[in-house]
Amino acid sequence: MNIPESHLAQEAITALVDGELTAGPAGRAARHLAGCAQCRMAVEAQREAKEALHCSADVSVPGDLMSRLRAIPFTAEMSGAGTGPGSMSAVGPGEFTLTGTRGAWSVDLTDDASRRGHLGPRWLRRGVAGTLVGLGAGVTALVLTLPGDAAPGAGATADSGRPEQHTEVAPPVLRTVTVGVVGGTP
Amino acid sequence: MSEATPAQPAGSGVRPDGWVAPTWEQVVRDHSARVYRLAYRLSGNAQDAEDLTQETFVRVFRSLADYSPGTFEGWLHRITTNLFLDMVRRRQRIRFDALPEDTERLPGRAPSPEQVYADTHLDPQVQAALDALPPEFRVAVVLCDIEGLTYEEIAATLGIKLGTVRSRIHRGRVQLRQALAHLAPRRPAVPGEVGA
Repeated sequence: MNIPESHLAQEAITALVDGELTAGPAGRAARHLAGCAQCRMAVEAQREAKEALHCSADVSVPGDLMSRLRAIPFTAEMSGAGTGPGSMSAVGPGEFTLTGTRGAWSVDLTDDASRRGHLGPRWLRRGVAGTLVGLGAGVTALVLTLPGDAAPGAGATADSGRPEQHTEVAPPVLRTVTVGVVGGTP
Repeated sequence: MSEATPAQPAGSGVRPDGWVAPTWEQVVRDHSARVYRLAYRLSGNAQDAEDLTQETFVRVFRSLADYSPGTFEGWLHRITTNLFLDMVRRRQRIRFDALPEDTERLPGRAPSPEQVYADTHLDPQVQAALDALPPEFRVAVVLCDIEGLTYEEIAATLGIKLGTVRSRIHRGRVQLRQALAHLAPRRPAVPGEVGA
């Protein structure tokens, strides 16, 4: 590890540019640079490359990607490699909770619902109860309730007796377990 | 059925230590730009960046319950970069296994410079130079110079030694600069324009 007096090690040059050298080595490097044009050039080269990358503004996420990300709770398959005794449970119509070994998460779905409220055609409407069932060891699945408005000619208003808070999901729901709804006809 | 569950949203995510779990909406809102940017810098095109971002968030969602607070960014960096390296290795394998001429390069895969700029606000030359780096170097350089991670964080993210981080960044930057030097002459000579 003993760097010869002659020149700075390449990695030391990189670390210097990134401010990753501790005070001692940084001081020694600075003294060396004062008298060594070759190492100064190497430092400058690293700095240039760093700055070329540095001047980049934030990117904006494509809108449809954002929608897909928000919809992951509805679309993601939870079968996976069963990561322990996790479970999910509905907290309310617009939210459910994931419970794992280290605590619980609540996943709020309401923002999503209100945002896409008027996007889909009425017949696409599906109520998400957000109820989740544990299947075996930590395997969970979203349970959806399909409201009775699928009945022909009934329209979305047919089930006005149902709570307002139904979450509407535009993307196709992959893993669904249908749960009977009061008076619901599939 | 759902009506039977207690309607008590607020308390559900609160832990004894007072940490409150964010909602999924918050997770997506707060972290999607960072993940997408990283994915774009690594992959160099919007399609792969979207796929990587989506897959990263799916992973996050699946293991949300086991997440321990405090290192969300580190966690995201780790997932994204690992997915990227997996993707690259998978493609290298495919290219190696099946050498037929038609897999050479999919037409229309590479985005136009205008598209790159519109998507990322990163100089297309710089993105091209970045794309030319070996994936392992690219990851180290991007995490350091674009994401602003320390060497230690990079070492933890990639599961490599500090010395390896240093040397990958060093070599990555040297190659990046060479690539830029090669690309630069092709630029229209505009007086006063600062070279990349």
